[in-house]
Amino acid sequence: MEKQYDSPPAAKVSAEVSREELRAVMTALEPDQLISTKEHHHCPRRQLTRTEMILFWALRIYLVFMFGVVLYQIWTGVR
Amino acid sequence: MKETKTLPELRRGTVPRSNLPNNQPTSDAAVVITHEDIDRAHDRERVSATRARHGIRPRLRLFWLLIGPGILVMLGENDGPSMLSYAATGARFGVGFFVPFIVLTFAMACVVQEMTVRLGAATHRGHAELIFDRFGPFWGWFSMVDLMVGNFLTLVTEFIAIRAGLGFFGVRPAVAVLGALVVLSVALMTHRYWTWERIILGAAMFNLVFVPVALLTHPHWGSVGRALVTWRPLPGGLTQETVLILLADIGATVTPWMLFFQQSAIADKGLTTRDIRFGRVDTVLGAALATIAALATLLATAPLFAHHMSVANFEAAEFAQALQPFIGHWGAALFALGMFEAGMVAAITISTSSAYAFGEVARRPHSLNLPFRQGKSFYLVLLLEAVAAAGLVLIPGIPLVYIVLLVNVIAVLAMPPALLFLYMLVNDREIMRELVSPRWANVLALGVVTILVGAGLLFGISVIAPNALALVGGR
Repeated sequence: MEKQYDSPPAAKVSAEVSREELRAVMTALEPDQLISTKEHHHCPRRQLTRTEMILFWALRIYLVFMFGVVLYQIWTGVR
Repeated sequence: MKETKTLPELRRGTVPRSNLPNNQPTSDAAVVITHEDIDRAHDRERVSATRARHGIRPRLRLFWLLIGPGILVMLGENDGPSMLSYAATGARFGVGFFVPFIVLTFAMACVVQEMTVRLGAATHRGHAELIFDRFGPFWGWFSMVDLMVGNFLTLVTEFIAIRAGLGFFGVRPAVAVLGALVVLSVALMTHRYWTWERIILGAAMFNLVFVPVALLTHPHWGSVGRALVTWRPLPGGLTQETVLILLADIGATVTPWMLFFQQSAIADKGLTTRDIRFGRVDTVLGAALATIAALATLLATAPLFAHHMSVANFEAAEFAQALQPFIGHWGAALFALGMFEAGMVAAITISTSSAYAFGEVARRPHSLNLPFRQGKSFYLVLLLEAVAAAGLVLIPGIPLVYIVLLVNVIAVLAMPPALLFLYMLVNDREIMRELVSPRWANVLALGVVTILVGAGLLFGISVIAPNALALVGGR
């Protein structure tokens, strides 16, 4: 389920928006640059393939292992 | 006059379409215009008006309006630990292998950052948000935690640089750190992306202060040219120390926060697919300026190598003091000032990248166009992270230079997973459409990943089994 902004700032501000400002905003910005559009529409989630999952996990394990190496170096450095 | 309109109504006629798939007309939800939308629209109006005019002056003005994120990210990455790494490189190895190597690392940074330009302009969304949406919360939070940990450690080192830089002028550590926090807060008070960007751009240009410092050392340009062509000499060969410096220099140019910052800044600035060409120029220009500053720092400290001075535990201020006999008091003062600037600009940009990422993942408002009341969580994350990092720096007895070098190493190690997300996103036809990476860009990106993983593994070997370095030509 998609999460929404917990505290949308928009409602209050929109009450102060003039017709000119509204027109200017709609002309100047692309539709999906509007905050209200971003709030309501998120990129759909994609399914990861098996290879992609393996790559993700391999790099995650690499990262954990290498952080261990860094900690080992700090430990030997301190000693 | 107050009003709200439905999305389909507003999309009639002149509004350009971007290529994001979720930009479908959706239900009849009312559009609510925010303060942030209005500010961004004002910026975009200026761009559109300038683009409509012909001639050199309008082109230059357009360039001025659209540059920013690329230069900021590149000069921002020439931060405290980076400049200290370049200084340590020059002092330990002189002019040789590392001169072309630094140029190569910035070329790598260009390849990587260009992808964020396309991604940001095509989707109008930040990097963390896209990872979260496309790959799900599990990987989204993972990348977020990687970023936050890396950013926090890096921020600590920025305040180390600030403290050390101002320490040269006799400023007490607590005063230096508190002063930096005040500057960071003042920059945020503009509540306007455009103003904030221009202020930080101006400050970032002081990174080039290392150029006059380098000139004061009267570098031998023939040696520099020869090193660029031959990649030699490499005094001492491939040792554990060489590998550490190698990784520190890579980490000084290519780090995860840059991906998150530039993409979010492009979305916040409001760049669109029409601006990608300028975004690329912005990135390359930033990389060129950053390369000049980095090489200048290396050249500035090269006399320490020539005079066989030990720099094993130098801090930034100590580098400045050690250089004083060669470049005089003013040269040394400029060097220290450069260290302060590097730390200051990076502290601002890095804490901003954390705040953007947090807002994107937690679905909280996240923009430098927000007034404080509406962007409380954004500004608080930014400030709290900076305050926590600044506080740590004041703890006495921390081995500063060692921490600084290791922070860059950690950045290199964290980069391959971050690059995999980026690589998959820019090749995601569903969100990028015709802007997916061409084959040559993918080859270059995979080359960068290979170099980073290779450098990481070399570091692992050098730590766990230093003798094994002999197998790859070291000792």
